[in-house]
Amino acid sequence: MLQYKDILAQIYSVSQEIARDKQEINETTDLVVDLGLDSMAVMELLAAIEDRFDISIPLNILPDVRTVKDLALQIQQLMVES
Amino acid sequence: MQATPTENNLPLRGANFSTLAEALDYAARGKTGYNFYTSKGKLSAVLPYAQLREEAQVLALRLHSLGLERGTRIAVVADTHPDFQRFFFACQYAGLVPVPVPAMVSLGSRNNYVAHLRKLLVSSQAAVAVAQEEFVEFLAKAAAGLDLRFFGAPKAFADLPQSTIQPLPIGPTETAYVQYTSGSTCFPRGVVISQKAVLNNLKGIIGTGLRIRPGDRCVSWLPYYHDMGFVGFVLAPMASQCSVDYLDTQAFAMRPRRWLTLMTQSRATISFGPPFSYELCARRVRKGNADRFDLSAWRVAGVGAEMIRPDFLKRFAETFAPFGFDKKAFLACYGMAECSLAVSFAPLSQGVCVETIVNTDYFAACHKALAVEDTSEKECPSRTSVFVNCGKPLPGYEVAVRDRQGRDLPDRRCGAIFVRGPSMMSGYLGDIDATREVLSKDGWLNTGDIGYRIQGDIVITGRKKDLIIINGRNIWAQDLEYLAEQQPDVRPRDTIAFSVPGAREEEIAVMVVQCRESDPAKRKSLTKQLQGLIRQELGIDCFVELVPPHTLPRTSSGKPTRSKARHDFIQRIGQSHQGAQKRPTTKRPAEYSAPDRYCKDNQSADLLLSVHPRGISDPVFTDR
Repeated sequence: MLQYKDILAQIYSVSQEIARDKQEINETTDLVVDLGLDSMAVMELLAAIEDRFDISIPLNILPDVRTVKDLALQIQQLMVES
Repeated sequence: MQATPTENNLPLRGANFSTLAEALDYAARGKTGYNFYTSKGKLSAVLPYAQLREEAQVLALRLHSLGLERGTRIAVVADTHPDFQRFFFACQYAGLVPVPVPAMVSLGSRNNYVAHLRKLLVSSQAAVAVAQEEFVEFLAKAAAGLDLRFFGAPKAFADLPQSTIQPLPIGPTETAYVQYTSGSTCFPRGVVISQKAVLNNLKGIIGTGLRIRPGDRCVSWLPYYHDMGFVGFVLAPMASQCSVDYLDTQAFAMRPRRWLTLMTQSRATISFGPPFSYELCARRVRKGNADRFDLSAWRVAGVGAEMIRPDFLKRFAETFAPFGFDKKAFLACYGMAECSLAVSFAPLSQGVCVETIVNTDYFAACHKALAVEDTSEKECPSRTSVFVNCGKPLPGYEVAVRDRQGRDLPDRRCGAIFVRGPSMMSGYLGDIDATREVLSKDGWLNTGDIGYRIQGDIVITGRKKDLIIINGRNIWAQDLEYLAEQQPDVRPRDTIAFSVPGAREEEIAVMVVQCRESDPAKRKSLTKQLQGLIRQELGIDCFVELVPPHTLPRTSSGKPTRSKARHDFIQRIGQSHQGAQKRPTTKRPAEYSAPDRYCKDNQSADLLLSVHPRGISDPVFTDR
């Protein structure tokens, strides 16, 4: 079972690959505003995360995800459920 | 579970019906139908037309039990799911008018999505609304305080009693559905389409445009709330008794090549997408993943919904030729929701026919398009523009190109495109003024698009001036401006948004903002804030330029003029381009040093630097 901090580390690495604006990423980083992810880049990020964690991300969680922390918590939840 | 077959046991009948209900009655006598695939490519649901008819008729009785007046509108959150078809056709049988509304969510978009849904519920005056389980929560919030008769997930409708009285299906002269133009979130417009109009268009699409024949099979990932996805890939296959295989739109956006995997798997012959979707497949190669496709059955690869960029298609064709893709399968077309869907198709099996226009300065000055005789593959000199021939109008359609005074222009003269034909909308729902603005009493629609004709064919050189199309999504300039003007530092009428062509012929959104602030740090923070907001709300990158007060051009009545602002902007960029050694060709030209004045606000300068010099003499703004 992956720990929250491991999930965070994975998200950092995936986001760094895809983000347009290279910068420090932490838990409070806003994926769209701070990382500069447009709607297509967001989709690419989600696909990469699905692959890394071997999960399926239901799209109705997205409206409530803004920051790296929001995403990490959702992933943790999904991994518990699966 | 097994997908519906490609071969049918029923003679093909191409939309020769008077209503959609009648078309389904006929399709239900065959074996074909709708098939749904998960993002992993697994078949998740099968809905043969026969089963759809049965279920839709039962659901019609349940809806009828609500005692709704004939023609009452039913909002259907248009997820790629068999329930969409069930509800759409239940409405057809029950004499109710379905209104597909978007099922689109993005990061952090909860409030926007709910607000948007609510606007559509209000605008359409829907009395009933339905959404898949995952979307019901948003729907409930959107409907709060509105006087809806009934709403919920499909399950809630299953508990309604069946009416003992058989309702009358929607008749040939009545409204078939209301389609919201996939555009403005602030100012939605519902296009009212009659049975007659949509069936006329389906006849043209099936018989003339695609020449659907036995053995055809469709694949689509296009959203159901978009005219191309809905009319083109929900209605047209049913009206020609073909099977369709669906991939969810979001699944496509996450893994574009799943589209091609599905094409391979089902041996489909017909599939459409906007230009960017072809480009995305060619670009997004997964590391260490050797994909294998067989695209040799693909006979119609339709391209529409935005300006067609030949280089995108070329790249796709080159990448997938080894997998049997034939570039002659590309089919350019032109249309809009106001005409149900399609206005014109290029000829089949000939690929994209490119018009190369010489001397764009001359083009801009006289609006006259001179052809380049030699259109060989060698790189075009800088003084040419490339446009795609979108073919001849469908039977019954007339196309006129007019100048500003409304006079018809001859071949190769560029102007505003007007169309008139048998699949025209009845009007915008509840908006007589907006309808009158675009549709004349004698049936001519001002498309807002710019182009010219050549021996009866249509060539589009620019689409609606207020419309910015990025990655296949329509973004309205008004929505960008509205967003900015919600900021305390930005006054109303201080912003103008538009798009400019980029180096790869893609569109780039630009917003010019009048700003009184002189402190560089504060300017920088305003720019960053606006860009973040736009990304958050609309999911796109936007170049923000701050200009001094009184810079934005206005009409005599004080209205900001978008076309002139765009012209001025391109002039400014043009000047700063001069002296630049070479034009950047990649999207993120790290090595390129940006002209000073555009870098000072420290935004992603690459966006702007990729503005194509073509824009400088682009006829779009000079003619409006």
